[in-house]
Amino acid sequence: MNIQEYISSGIIEAYVLGMASKDERAEFETLCAVHPELRRARDEFEMSLEEAALASAVTPDKSLKSKIFAEIEIESYDQQNAYAEQQVPVIPFETEPQFSTSLRKYMNVAAVILLVGSIAMNLYFFSQYRSYSSKYNELLAQQTNMASNNKALQTKLSQYQQELSLMKDPDMLLVKMQASNVATSPDTASSAMVYYNTRSKQVFLVVNHLPPPTAGKQYQLWAIIDGKPVDAGVFDPKEFMLTMKNISGPQAFAITLEKPGGSSSPEGPMYVLGKV
Amino acid sequence: MGTTFTYSEQELVSLLKDRDSKAFSYLYDNYSGALLGVISQIIDDMDLSNDVLQEVFINIWRKIESYDPIKGRLFTWMLNIARNASIDVLRSKSYQNNRNNQEITESFSGGFATMKLDDVGLKKVLSQLKSEHRVLIELAYFKGYTHEEISEIEDIPLGTVKTRIRNALLQLREQLK
Repeated sequence: MNIQEYISSGIIEAYVLGMASKDERAEFETLCAVHPELRRARDEFEMSLEEAALASAVTPDKSLKSKIFAEIEIESYDQQNAYAEQQVPVIPFETEPQFSTSLRKYMNVAAVILLVGSIAMNLYFFSQYRSYSSKYNELLAQQTNMASNNKALQTKLSQYQQELSLMKDPDMLLVKMQASNVATSPDTASSAMVYYNTRSKQVFLVVNHLPPPTAGKQYQLWAIIDGKPVDAGVFDPKEFMLTMKNISGPQAFAITLEKPGGSSSPEGPMYVLGKV
Repeated sequence: MGTTFTYSEQELVSLLKDRDSKAFSYLYDNYSGALLGVISQIIDDMDLSNDVLQEVFINIWRKIESYDPIKGRLFTWMLNIARNASIDVLRSKSYQNNRNNQEITESFSGGFATMKLDDVGLKKVLSQLKSEHRVLIELAYFKGYTHEEISEIEDIPLGTVKTRIRNALLQLREQLK
């Protein structure tokens, strides 16, 4: 083969520009190894091509270099880890090399989403907790309130039951005391009742109406026995039946307003009177 | 660093094979523009060309082990990587679809995009070739068609295609001198 003809056949350009066929390339490479002048001619064309390309250079985007370097650094990082993994049987958690960069990015994003989600859930549950906790305290207070109301009702109920059982007693005598029986009564609307057990001599007082006692005074119940008033106890008007002193053989009952603690014989005005 | 330094091609290749990122930075600084010049002549979309350039440099980094200095200069090897990557994009479906849309819009704007690229770089050299040669180089080099495909497209016998491309390449070589 005439090497000069070969050099000027255009094969050099086709080879260098990547346009030669596989067979042509193989032939060219073999001949290059044998003919230094072919190699020189190829070098020459390559240099001129490089110069032409440099002369018509187009500036790439400014950010491109850092993008490329970021990518290859991630790659060499992965390679180092792959190497490290071969050396050490323990796989460090933070450097799992089988994750691709994009998968890692997704995992990072997923981790952030999970974190944000969990913070949101915590806030939500905390606010729920606070609201339930205040509701619980409210209910607890209500419950205490109801329990004490219940206790009060129980007390009232037992009192009423007691009163009722007393009234059911066949030995119980009812004595109505009225202001109309007392010409000088300070309050004509006043009235009260005594339940007198003729067998047990017990005296129970029910006040229907008495004006609030004037300051420094107290009401006193009297039993009239043989025309003489006998002290049956002092009291403050209440809605319940009051248990007074036991009395034997009363003919009448009366209420006067006396000094605190009562008097040995009536001194204040009489409000009501009723005969047995 | 400030001081400019240069590597001989041998030094550069050996440093690159050792994964020296400084050498890679030097390679990028000196050749990215030249490669983008060629890429953007094949793909007439600058954003896309930049994407291809990125891919090309990453491939250079990955495949540097396979570079054999006996077969040619480093730039030639990189240029072929760039050309192949560009032609792959050129032939991809998504690019073809885009291209069709672009051609429709270009038919309204008068085709500035194709005109402006014809007066730079290797295509400038091409424009000085005889038209029968120019078309063949355009198809063979910038579009990446095989001789058989060109024979069909241009309706010329395969032997004629080969001869004309050879002649065109020789002319190109003269232009580059």
